[in-house]
Amino acid sequence: MLDLSSTTAKIVFGLTLALIGFFLFFPVYWMITSSLKADAELYKIIPTAFPQEITLHHYWTALTQGRLPTYLLNSLITSGSSAALNSLLALYAAYSFAKYDYFGRQPIMLLMLSAQMFPFGLLLISIYPLWTQFGLLDTQIGLILSYIVFALPVATYMLFSYFSQVPDELIDAARADGASDLRIFHTIVIPISIPPIVTVFLYSFMWSWNDLLYSMTLIVSDDKRTIGPGLLLTYLSDSNSDWGGAMAASLVASAPIVVAFMFLQRYFIQGVTAGAVK
Amino acid sequence: MAKLELSGIKKSFGTTEVLKGIDLTVEDGEFVAFVGPSGCGKSTLLRLICGLDEITAGQMAIDGQIVNDVPPAKRGIAMVFQSYALYPHMTVADNMGYALRLAGTSKQEIKARVDTAAKVLRINNYLDRKPRQLSGGQRQRVAIGRAIVREPRIFLFDEPLSNLDASLRVEMRIEIARMKDRLGTTMVYVTHDQIEAMTLADKIVVLNAGRVEQVGSPLDLYNKPQNRFVAGFIGSPKMNFLTLGAATGESRFAVPGGEIRIPAGLSSAPAEIGIRPEHLELVDLGQQHTLTGTVSMTEHLGSDTYAYVSLSSSEEMLVVRLSGERAVKRNQTIGIAFDPEMIHVFSADGQTIASARPVALEAA
Repeated sequence: MLDLSSTTAKIVFGLTLALIGFFLFFPVYWMITSSLKADAELYKIIPTAFPQEITLHHYWTALTQGRLPTYLLNSLITSGSSAALNSLLALYAAYSFAKYDYFGRQPIMLLMLSAQMFPFGLLLISIYPLWTQFGLLDTQIGLILSYIVFALPVATYMLFSYFSQVPDELIDAARADGASDLRIFHTIVIPISIPPIVTVFLYSFMWSWNDLLYSMTLIVSDDKRTIGPGLLLTYLSDSNSDWGGAMAASLVASAPIVVAFMFLQRYFIQGVTAGAVK
Repeated sequence: MAKLELSGIKKSFGTTEVLKGIDLTVEDGEFVAFVGPSGCGKSTLLRLICGLDEITAGQMAIDGQIVNDVPPAKRGIAMVFQSYALYPHMTVADNMGYALRLAGTSKQEIKARVDTAAKVLRINNYLDRKPRQLSGGQRQRVAIGRAIVREPRIFLFDEPLSNLDASLRVEMRIEIARMKDRLGTTMVYVTHDQIEAMTLADKIVVLNAGRVEQVGSPLDLYNKPQNRFVAGFIGSPKMNFLTLGAATGESRFAVPGGEIRIPAGLSSAPAEIGIRPEHLELVDLGQQHTLTGTVSMTEHLGSDTYAYVSLSSSEEMLVVRLSGERAVKRNQTIGIAFDPEMIHVFSADGQTIASARPVALEAA
């Protein structure tokens, strides 16, 4: 059997990790260095690994001359709203599935989860005429609602799994203390469920932030465009060759997700319920 | 303080009937323990009293007022849960004051009541801590404190000490006994630990398969069990049972390892006898004895020694409780003597035949 503490094992593991790391981080590294290179250096036949001269010119151009700030703001509005609405709806749906027994609970849950089995593109075919009918096409509300259609089942299921494990005795204790069902949910269950709620919020936020298909199809006006289609249409056309700008804009577009993760990752590992019940 | 009356209480979950008609009165200020095997319905009954589950049939009254449809908080009841059920995101003080806050009690009043209860339970130094920063014993005190501050008419305890280690359990048992004396409130206590029930309760209710088998003082249940179930359930190690063989002349019944006489004229035919391990004595074969057997195992607990004796010509085994100093050799053939007054006689349907006065016969 392989001795995990042996030098050979360490070398094998080290090399494997280095290889995985290289594949994962090289594109990010290339994006960062390219965004910092001057145009002349970018188009050299033999590319340089490190920028010979660091310039913030591409960032300045992306942020001041294009519509990047508008796209960013639009994405922030649609992703933020859909994530917030999605988390809110999922909270109540998941709690009712997890802690109440009522007629039709199981079929409703299965129906909701089955929505996940359809390919995203397929549902767009039915959403498009529907949104046209309701006048939701080319509106941010329409886009937000379409994101909820997709993220809600998974978000509900994620929270359902968590709420199912919230001890019934905790809820019974609050009932015996005189709290109503809603009060128990708001003052006991939600405060101890911050980590999964944050996870669900981030999941929904990332889902809509990274979306291309829906925002590209359901939004037509340039001033309502989100970051994905915005970047694509600005930088990836046949005539465009501003790779430095594309890299800088992509980095700026990724920043909110990275920052959000940096601030909220502690919730993923925090065991808030420790000490609740033995 | 309050009087609790249950009449014909039934509880079903779907088609399964868990409680099959419970009639019980808990007097004002009385400490009542519910005991019984797992699944007998004792915790279900406690949840019905608390109002956490709905009663399927029957009537429950507190101080004469029917409370079947009264929500938990309006019943004037506080419950201490087996798993403590403390709110993990709240401090000890907030945990204890939560019910009072919901009831709209003023902040000063909440603080005063929390402080008083915390001092009594010696948790006043931990009021700002979260439950996860406390030990098991401290958490249990907080759970009890949370019940005390509400100044309820009835306290309910659902196996409150079962999550604690042995030494802490003894300590908390004494704490609850003190609390019972100090507050004088009506208390209903569910436990599977006989020692807790015997030491704390004024009255024990033995439940089995959703029915009350017997209600009585701890010593009543021990000395005068009404049926075989209670006789076997109360007492540790449990009572020894011997099946009676066919009656021969003069109402003599063969039992494994010997013979016994149970005079005729009883309300029903005797089928089994029971005798507690502490009422049996091991004697040399030369001395007067009724049963004969072989010592197959001994357990030395320090204060006591338990001898497991296989009865001659039978696979049945008797447990005999001896003093700690008593040395018994394994595989030794030995006589068993007992006072016939201590024998319980049961009919075929498991009921105690109270009028039976057995006579121990000398082994041949």
